[in-house]
Amino acid sequence: MAPTIQPDRLAAITATLDHDRDLGLDIGARLCATCVDVLGVTGAGIMLMIDGENSSSLGVSDPTIGVVEELQFTLGVGPCIDAVHTGQPVLEPDLAHPSVHRWPGFAGPAVEAGVGAVFGFPVVSGAVRLGALDVYLDRPGALDDTQLADAVALAGLIGDTVLAIQANTAPGLVPEQFEASVEHRAVVHQASGMLSAQLEISVQDALARIRAYSYAEGRLVNDVARAIVQRTLYLPSETG
Amino acid sequence: MNDATHAPDPLVGRRQRKDAAVPTYETLLAHTFVTFADTMVTDFDVVDFLSTLATRCVELFDAGDAGIMLADASGRMQVAASSSHQMRLLELFELQHDEGPCPDAYRTGRAVQHVDLRDAAEIWPKFAPEAVRAGFLSVSAFPMRLRADTIGALNLIRATTGVLDEGELAAAQALADIATIGILHHRAAEESRLLTEQLHYALNSRIVIEQAKGVVSQRLELDMDTSFTTLRNYSRSHNRRLVDVAHEIVDRELPAAALMSPPPV
Repeated sequence: MAPTIQPDRLAAITATLDHDRDLGLDIGARLCATCVDVLGVTGAGIMLMIDGENSSSLGVSDPTIGVVEELQFTLGVGPCIDAVHTGQPVLEPDLAHPSVHRWPGFAGPAVEAGVGAVFGFPVVSGAVRLGALDVYLDRPGALDDTQLADAVALAGLIGDTVLAIQANTAPGLVPEQFEASVEHRAVVHQASGMLSAQLEISVQDALARIRAYSYAEGRLVNDVARAIVQRTLYLPSETG
Repeated sequence: MNDATHAPDPLVGRRQRKDAAVPTYETLLAHTFVTFADTMVTDFDVVDFLSTLATRCVELFDAGDAGIMLADASGRMQVAASSSHQMRLLELFELQHDEGPCPDAYRTGRAVQHVDLRDAAEIWPKFAPEAVRAGFLSVSAFPMRLRADTIGALNLIRATTGVLDEGELAAAQALADIATIGILHHRAAEESRLLTEQLHYALNSRIVIEQAKGVVSQRLELDMDTSFTTLRNYSRSHNRRLVDVAHEIVDRELPAAALMSPPPV
């Protein structure tokens, strides 16, 4: 699929992102705003994949796409997850009445949050998959060929930007542009540590336990984690 | 067409002298392009790639030898591939004296040819006699260039006098260009891979530090900030990296209680 964004338009978009000389702390928000503007969608978010099960959000254009990304982190399924795993765009034009049954637990809460259609595009640089761009429409509908090609081109731009940020960062340090998203997820890892010490299990098992509890209770992982860290919630040693 | 009893016309192109039994020039050229295109998609070994390029050039352009030089990060050229040991020595000679068709092609970004090196002493006072001594009489060098970037040069050298015709010049430059694209593409891919590794390492280090804070908070009944301070103080006083201490805490190789003990005297 050849991108339809003209080279000079893509250059203009890139120039807008660079105009503050350095890639500023709000780069995630600006990238999302650019995606919304170029694609004409309701909202956009960028998920950074760290490993198979850890991700953080680089930016969101509105709270709804924020919920979409939190749901995916909680459930481990969704358009971003699939986009990263397959390396292909993932398209769901009618989340309330999907033709393909997938993503258990995701559609209901996402539709409730205001998602009519949702699409995920892998963010890659060369052969490496860094994460995904997710965009949504507030009512059912498909993206046309122009939007699809533009989304792929934007995902490429996001990948280049992420690596450019890393290139400007001392090795070993989290780039400060990602600090906010890393900090947002910190409570989950703290809770995993606490739970692993409480139940004498590995941190991986502890995270899985937190996720399972969140899914069963219909809560987001971050909220459950916060309750664990605040010691208002203790998970039982045996899953129910 | 080539009558062995007459001295060959130096301006007659190589193609016309090919033995009919070998694959046609066009076939070999096409095959070379396809091979290179394929190489660039799969695992790419620069040295292997350039050795193949040198060998192919010898076959395609009836050259005695071929060699490739690449510039390093500071712009100093190095011999990257040679079709023979003798060629390698000659290329090293060019670099040592900073004189010859390769340095010229690299610096000017333009192809350089000489029909008879016995007449080239004014242009290359050291290289020309050395090349003649080594048995070479003519040379064609091509910049390895993509837009404004010249990354090296390809050198074809022959035991006979003469120059490449227009078609061969175009083909040789095209091969040099394709090699350039392949190398630049490979370098970009390597850089992406390296940067991604750095990013993931940094993010994973943060994750394990947060996990360790949780373990310490639970075991020592501290809040998160105090847990972090405890980890950090222990790391500093024991001269260890915070992330390593965090790993040991999370993996239960270091008990949290040990964080409270004073450092060894």
